[in-house]
Amino acid sequence: MRTTPRGLIAALALTPLLAGCFAPGDSGGTGAGAGSGGRLRVALAVPPVQALSPYSNDATVLSKLSVAEGLTALDKNGTAKPALAKSWKQDDDTTWTFELRKAEFQDGTRLTAQSVVNALDHAGQARPKPRVLSDVTLTAKAEDADTVTLTTKSPDPVLPLRLASPALAVLSAKAYAEDGAVSPVGTGTGPFRITRLSGKTKAALDRFDGYWGGKAKAPGIDVSWVADGTARANALRSGEADIAEWIPTAQAKLLDNDTRHEVPSVRTDSLVLNTGGGLFTDAGLRAAAREAVDGSALVDSVFGGYADPAQGLFGPAVPWAAGKRVEVTGRAEAATTAQVKAETKGRTLRLATYTNRAELPEAATVLQQQLEKAGFTVKQDVREYTQMEADLLAGKYDALVFSRVTLLDTGDAVDYLASDFAGEGVYNIAGLKDTAVDKAIRTAAAERDTQRRQEKIMRAEAAILRTDAVVPLVHEQAVQGIATGVEGVILDPRERSLVDVDTRVG
Amino acid sequence: MSVAHPSGARPSLWPAAAGRVLAGAVLLGAVALLPWLTGADPARTVLRARSADQNPTAADLAAVREQLGLDEGPFAHLTRWLGGLPRGDAGVSWVSGEPVMPQVGTALSVSLTLMLGALAVTALVAALVCARTVFLGSRRRLRRDRAGATAAVLAALPKFLLASVLATVCGVWWGWFPSSGWEGPRSMVLPSLALGIPSGAMLGGLLDQALPAAFHEPWARTAYAVGLPPGHIARDALRRTLPGMLPQLLPTVVALVGGAVAVEKIFDIPGLGRLALEAAVAQDLPVLQTATLALVLLGVGAGILVRALRHALLGRPLRDGALPALHRPPLAAPRSLRWIIAVCSVALLALVTAGLLRDPLQVDTAARLLPPSLGHPLGTDALGRDLLARLGHGALRTAGVALAVTAVSAVTGLLLGMAPRASAGPTEVVSTLPAVLTGLLIAGVTGPSVWGAACAVCVVGWSPYAAQTAALLEQERASGHIAASVALGAGRLHLLRRHLLPAVLPALLRNALLRLPTTVLVLASLGFLGLGEQPPTPEWGRLLSENQPYAELAPWTVLGPAAALVALSVVAVTGSALGRGKGE
Repeated sequence: MRTTPRGLIAALALTPLLAGCFAPGDSGGTGAGAGSGGRLRVALAVPPVQALSPYSNDATVLSKLSVAEGLTALDKNGTAKPALAKSWKQDDDTTWTFELRKAEFQDGTRLTAQSVVNALDHAGQARPKPRVLSDVTLTAKAEDADTVTLTTKSPDPVLPLRLASPALAVLSAKAYAEDGAVSPVGTGTGPFRITRLSGKTKAALDRFDGYWGGKAKAPGIDVSWVADGTARANALRSGEADIAEWIPTAQAKLLDNDTRHEVPSVRTDSLVLNTGGGLFTDAGLRAAAREAVDGSALVDSVFGGYADPAQGLFGPAVPWAAGKRVEVTGRAEAATTAQVKAETKGRTLRLATYTNRAELPEAATVLQQQLEKAGFTVKQDVREYTQMEADLLAGKYDALVFSRVTLLDTGDAVDYLASDFAGEGVYNIAGLKDTAVDKAIRTAAAERDTQRRQEKIMRAEAAILRTDAVVPLVHEQAVQGIATGVEGVILDPRERSLVDVDTRVG
Repeated sequence: MSVAHPSGARPSLWPAAAGRVLAGAVLLGAVALLPWLTGADPARTVLRARSADQNPTAADLAAVREQLGLDEGPFAHLTRWLGGLPRGDAGVSWVSGEPVMPQVGTALSVSLTLMLGALAVTALVAALVCARTVFLGSRRRLRRDRAGATAAVLAALPKFLLASVLATVCGVWWGWFPSSGWEGPRSMVLPSLALGIPSGAMLGGLLDQALPAAFHEPWARTAYAVGLPPGHIARDALRRTLPGMLPQLLPTVVALVGGAVAVEKIFDIPGLGRLALEAAVAQDLPVLQTATLALVLLGVGAGILVRALRHALLGRPLRDGALPALHRPPLAAPRSLRWIIAVCSVALLALVTAGLLRDPLQVDTAARLLPPSLGHPLGTDALGRDLLARLGHGALRTAGVALAVTAVSAVTGLLLGMAPRASAGPTEVVSTLPAVLTGLLIAGVTGPSVWGAACAVCVVGWSPYAAQTAALLEQERASGHIAASVALGAGRLHLLRRHLLPAVLPALLRNALLRLPTTVLVLASLGFLGLGEQPPTPEWGRLLSENQPYAELAPWTVLGPAAALVALSVVAVTGSALGRGKGE
């Protein structure tokens, strides 16, 4: 009996020692009382993977929190507007000239043409290449202190849109380390300056008073990364956060009406049919699947109302799409239930989806029933995305419920069409090899006039839908949780902006 | 197998030490070879982790491969990593490019702190579970056995469900504690409760079963007769029984350092479990190896500590073979026992029969999340499927697989536990290992498979039983009657059959049955790797996890499955108590 108390005492003595092990660097805050003095408390969903390097997933954090800016920015309609460049003009097919505004980096140095060249050079040399530069080679040259000339190898009609990508944010020279690492801590030009980054859990931002666009209304931002959607919703509901992004649809109903803000997202969920092998090489069966599947049944059930029934590949978040949509004609005739049963005899339809987005497995189960009604025998394969990506690209399945961002970094849709549906596309999970589709995508890619480019994109959409390689189901809506009294939060369909100069706790 | 002959000589420590080193080395080797064993290209997973929407072009993959030096093969990496360790350098993360050591160190300290909180709650709950037996036993008023239903109910509560409920009720509704985050002792309370209550009930249930035997020993009678205070008797009885239970701390509480992923997610705690899981999914080997090493060291360290504690508690009697064996007194089965079993069995049976008559797969999006009604006695889930039907159809599969896995694990544990010196190392190493890691290996090697989940759980699931067997056998061998039997010429087989197994089996069975619900949940938790039955097949663990997001909006979606799991566990545990009563 002598030893137990001793052991117990030892264990108890360890407790305070280890109690010092809470999230690092939190000693400054006073627990739950943080956020005082008008600082915004923001709960973001995707924890940083590369210490907020603009060449990774983390890039959007820099633009969401207005830390760094590029030469241009996107306005509501998806066209380029001035940011660090106050104006630009196209000199010829491949040459553009940008006039810089007077701006200051958060480390006190001035924005010069040389700093822009430096930033763009680093982005161009980054390996792997940032997605936004995947199909273009960019050369930047400083003409004078505030003029930059950009030359592209081949004509690039969307260059100003491209430059709005957070991956091409201009940081001060200090940000770029010898070993290729890039740190945006205290090196951006935006109204908020990162003062501390604590691993993958927290960051603190202060207002940057030297911002060219005036002083931000909020004195600072306390960011916490909360990967679990329920936990984010809880943080908002319990008053631990002022802004919680991406509330899962299952939790959205639990939020008060005035804290729940939905915004159409550029994400489209669709059923991708494998045209390269298996059941769906048969166009009649693809058509039968298309007829059988009803995405609108998912809207009120799986998505709890936070989605729009699919119009095509591009939804309401792409404002120009609806007006320019081309009717799909000449589709294959759908096989009847009896034909489907006869043709698929003994073969099961392998329906794949992944667990990373909670709604997809549920959607797959609804689709399974719809497909079974049409005569298919369905077997699901549901895994974590990284566990199945190789299998997907190798075509080891018949259908995939897939959630895809349709407007990528460029704000342009051609990139998405080319990677997902062109014969040579690297993300061509549908295994589509169709000359008409390839041609339509190529024509759209070559078009420089914005209006006509959009028209051609919609023509390519029709060409793709004609093949029944993809059946759009719903256009997702993102639900952002914003506490009452917080004003000026930006609801951005592209998920690139959230907090800016005007955001404040009322 | 080594049947100890009571002797004063201390056994050599070498076999155990070698076992630990070997087990740790095998595990680390397997982790270091993970991508090469599974054939999954780390370049692809790392690129995906860095940039979710990036197209995996050949050029980008090649760039990542070159950055990471993947062409050098696994051994160059392992050597470099091992070479850096003495300098405290565990390399840089493949995904983030940041040093690994600080990341793992921080996560480990967070997880350890959380584990200590859970340990405190565990001790408290275990004390409450045994309180009645201790009180009555120390006053010699223990006449009736206990059904153990309370312990079974609490032990069957899914930790992630408990966590969800606590976060919602105490965090959001009442605002007593932070609903998420890790910002001070206040953030510790809810997760510690969620982790500690089921663990405490499990350990308390085991202790509660062992205590009557201690109170039945002659010394207790004497102590009572000479008028020693009950507190004194209780303390000595605990000292007599705790050593048999202490090894269970390892797989039950210490394992929470790496195995509390679900609870860490719900409360957004930056712990080691999440770090290891993320690293495993992204195949970020430097991080994964370092986290595994930390878990191995922790398991071995805790194992040695537990061993020392046991020997300190039992002391000389254990060494000198002067330890009388603990044997349960004949206690009358409690009156409530039959009732509890009857009610739970009838409820389960009714549930299964009624459920089997319905269609578990019929999706009706218009009937979404309906509360219980005549048409749907247990309500419907988010897709409008009838929950009663899903429970009924899932019952047989769930119970069958979980029982089979438990049986295999228990038998493996029993066999390994009989060779305690050789198995001590592997037991400690495996006890802190999350099933997800083995699941990942198996999923990589075999691809998605129905039996993969069961295999993965069996690979790590035996450690509690091995630890228990080893501890009980050690005590049993140190008891007088074994020495007497040996002196009378008893052979090994005879000893095993007539003395050793009868001493171990009842406790082992109780342990296995108390762990049954956990097994169901762990099996379901591997679903995201493609292991186990694919959806929409109904299965209780899946029912709980797929309905967890709706726990607050439609509580019935999780209450039904949770109640069914609890009922199953109660029937199993109390049934074994009834069998015990009859057997004696």
